Amino acid sequence: MTMTKLSSRITAIAVLAYMAYFLLLTVFSGKAERSSDENRELSSLPSVSLSSLADGSAGTDMGTYIADHFPYRSRWIKFNTALRSEIGEGIVNGVYISDDMLLDAEASNRKKASESAADVNAFAERYNGALYVAAIPTSSGVYRERLPEYLDNYRESQQITDFYEGLNGGIKRIDAFNILKMLNENYIYYRNDTKWTSYGAYCVYRTVIQKLGFLPTTYDKYTVRHVTSDFRGNLYNRSLYSGTDPDILDFYYYSSGAEVVSCKGCYNDGTVVDKKIYDDRQLDSDYMYSAYLGDDVPIIKISTNVNNERRLLVIKDSYADCFIPFLIQHYSEIDVVSPELLDGPVGNYIDLSDYEQALILFGIENLSREGILSNLK
Amino acid sequence: MIYSSLIFIYGFLPISFLAYYLSPKKRQPLVLLLLSIIFCGMLGLKYLLFTTVFTAVNYSACRGTAHYRSKKAASAVIYSGGIMFDLFSLFLFRAEYLSAFRGSAGLGGNFFPIGLSFMVLSAIGTLNDIFSGKEEADRCFLRFWLYFIFFPRLIMGPPLRYRSFTKMVDSRKPELAEIGVGMTIFVKGLAKKVLAADSLYLLYDAVNATSLRNMSMLTAWLGALAYALCLYYTLSGLSDMGTGTGYCFGLKMPQSFNYPLFSVKIRYFAARWHIQVVQWFRRYITKPLSVHFNNRVVKKLIFICVWGIFGFWYSFSINGLIWGILIGTAIILERVFNRGVILKRTGAIYTIFVAVICGVFLSGDTLSHSVRYLFAMIGGGGGFADAFSLYLLKSYVVVLLITMYAATDLFRNMMMRSGKNPVRTAVTAASPLIVLGLLILCTALISYSGSSEMILMKL
Repeated sequence: MTMTKLSSRITAIAVLAYMAYFLLLTVFSGKAERSSDENRELSSLPSVSLSSLADGSAGTDMGTYIADHFPYRSRWIKFNTALRSEIGEGIVNGVYISDDMLLDAEASNRKKASESAADVNAFAERYNGALYVAAIPTSSGVYRERLPEYLDNYRESQQITDFYEGLNGGIKRIDAFNILKMLNENYIYYRNDTKWTSYGAYCVYRTVIQKLGFLPTTYDKYTVRHVTSDFRGNLYNRSLYSGTDPDILDFYYYSSGAEVVSCKGCYNDGTVVDKKIYDDRQLDSDYMYSAYLGDDVPIIKISTNVNNERRLLVIKDSYADCFIPFLIQHYSEIDVVSPELLDGPVGNYIDLSDYEQALILFGIENLSREGILSNLK
Repeated sequence: MIYSSLIFIYGFLPISFLAYYLSPKKRQPLVLLLLSIIFCGMLGLKYLLFTTVFTAVNYSACRGTAHYRSKKAASAVIYSGGIMFDLFSLFLFRAEYLSAFRGSAGLGGNFFPIGLSFMVLSAIGTLNDIFSGKEEADRCFLRFWLYFIFFPRLIMGPPLRYRSFTKMVDSRKPELAEIGVGMTIFVKGLAKKVLAADSLYLLYDAVNATSLRNMSMLTAWLGALAYALCLYYTLSGLSDMGTGTGYCFGLKMPQSFNYPLFSVKIRYFAARWHIQVVQWFRRYITKPLSVHFNNRVVKKLIFICVWGIFGFWYSFSINGLIWGILIGTAIILERVFNRGVILKRTGAIYTIFVAVICGVFLSGDTLSHSVRYLFAMIGGGGGFADAFSLYLLKSYVVVLLITMYAATDLFRNMMMRSGKNPVRTAVTAASPLIVLGLLILCTALISYSGSSEMILMKL
């Protein structure tokens, strides 16, 4: 037998054994329902229907199912990221990899947030108080010079400007972008997430609260507690790249300041649960950032021992979760609404005339998503 | 289900080996047919239905053509009816301007039968062979069906003649060493697709994302080179995966590409690029047309036009047509001006140069875009180089160098050379490890989404 033939046979046996091993593992290993590394639900076995069989989507879904439950999926993805950061530009699943920080490489692919602007305008028509809007950039916007130029053909600063220009005259806009841009030497954005840090939120809070008519609480009044230094956020979930340093989550306490008297979360069906401004238990979850305000609920009602009878309505996404703790010092009552989680228009759940001020605070990445503010109409 | 997906490599493939090798040798073609039906079914029952109808119509046309062979006219009517049907389905699904018609015909604007272009070539070729008496019409519908939907041949051909295909199936030698050879070819194809083509596509995509108006020369060249290489690696990767799968069943399917990009002559490029498709066009269009003409110039014009049709077959647009015409013209020019001379290195550089320039037409959406792109390549955009082009060069220089080396036949030639060669011995001895290692690498690269779907063109 020639050497070539022998080596072919060995190849055959090795490859077949390897494929069979993974086939058997895929079929017989236990199927996890979610991946904590990726912080998402894994797909379930596709249900087969005539229409899904006809157009081939059943086959595609099956492919996704196999991929989601492929043995050692997380390790494969980490390996993939390591390979891709070596060959080519180091962009993995739309995440730009560098050892300083991960950045969203698809930030400039977003659509114009004009739909959201129209929804805000519709809301402003029916709301009689003073309305403030803040669109918060992602780390890709504030640190755009770290991205290759071509990934930046629709800049976040431009996205925010476009959004602001779509708003009606009476609405007050807050220029968070330039505040954050000026401070970008500081730890204002996470290295592994698109969102701002508590400190980034604090820096914007100083401007926002002045516009709302208060003096900001100075930084030295706060005791900052580093609750974890192991946070890895949504950009990590997409790439599983662990070459960057993990992030620090901070809780801000003002010991001699106002305190939260009650904090209730309300679900769509009317169920009320106790909430915490800082929820330590979430530090054990897959997404530590949810330690700010805890699990997602459509409405949170916070009352404080501030004695000024002022009420603020905050309409927000996850960017505001670490921002809201700073507002506690100024209002007797703060009601926080996540319109995306509501089942119907916001007016069905709260009475808009209760509030003389309302703040709409969103990340620009979410504002460009379709229908995110449709419940404001 | 594309070959470069986890479900194919770790699901469909091993299971089909098991089914094939456990069944008695006589039944193996039937098993292959069943497997192919399942493969089509996974792509959608609609698709399966389409292929079945397509096969049935062609089967009837072939039988009819053969049956009435004594009555020339009747035979010709059936024959041309069959050809019309094949061409009609090709245009119906591939031509963008008919998408509205597809929608109104209830076929769904998005439905595209994968591999249709190859099926149509096979069908027309077979019909023609039967009409001209070179081939008998097969009575066995199942075998005929297998000819069209044999899954290793489905996505990227090659369009074999019916007789070559049946001969291949009848003379199959399924054995362990063949699986080894097959898996080597398959993994080579997978690496071409996933490692090379997908990385190059990122570069091509990055260049495409910038505006042509201020594109520097270097950027434009990088993008064009990336496209030419990416096209080669995508097409040849997918066809290698198919060929390799065929080998695993003991079927010696021919390879479609033979290191064309760095051939020393354009003529060799033409002879090594999508070999069976180019042969098909020569056999069924160029030759029958040329027979009627004695004039050399006319023959050359026909040659160029058929290359144009080949290009049109690729993209179904004017751009593809121009790509083909340019390649055809380059071959003719070479024949006229550079008959005997073979220039080794300069020849290879010249070939890749022509392939890159012509590729600009295949890659562009519109003619004007391609022309403006060429303009940027000669410095009409924004100077020689800028920060962006240097960034791209820095990021992709390793990918480009490796893929360019792998697109030459240097390594293959070294392995083929006779005599004792320590490198060859070492590579042969290590080949199981290399194959397994590459398979693991490629698995990692498709692990996130589970497949690598980019195929550049719908064929």
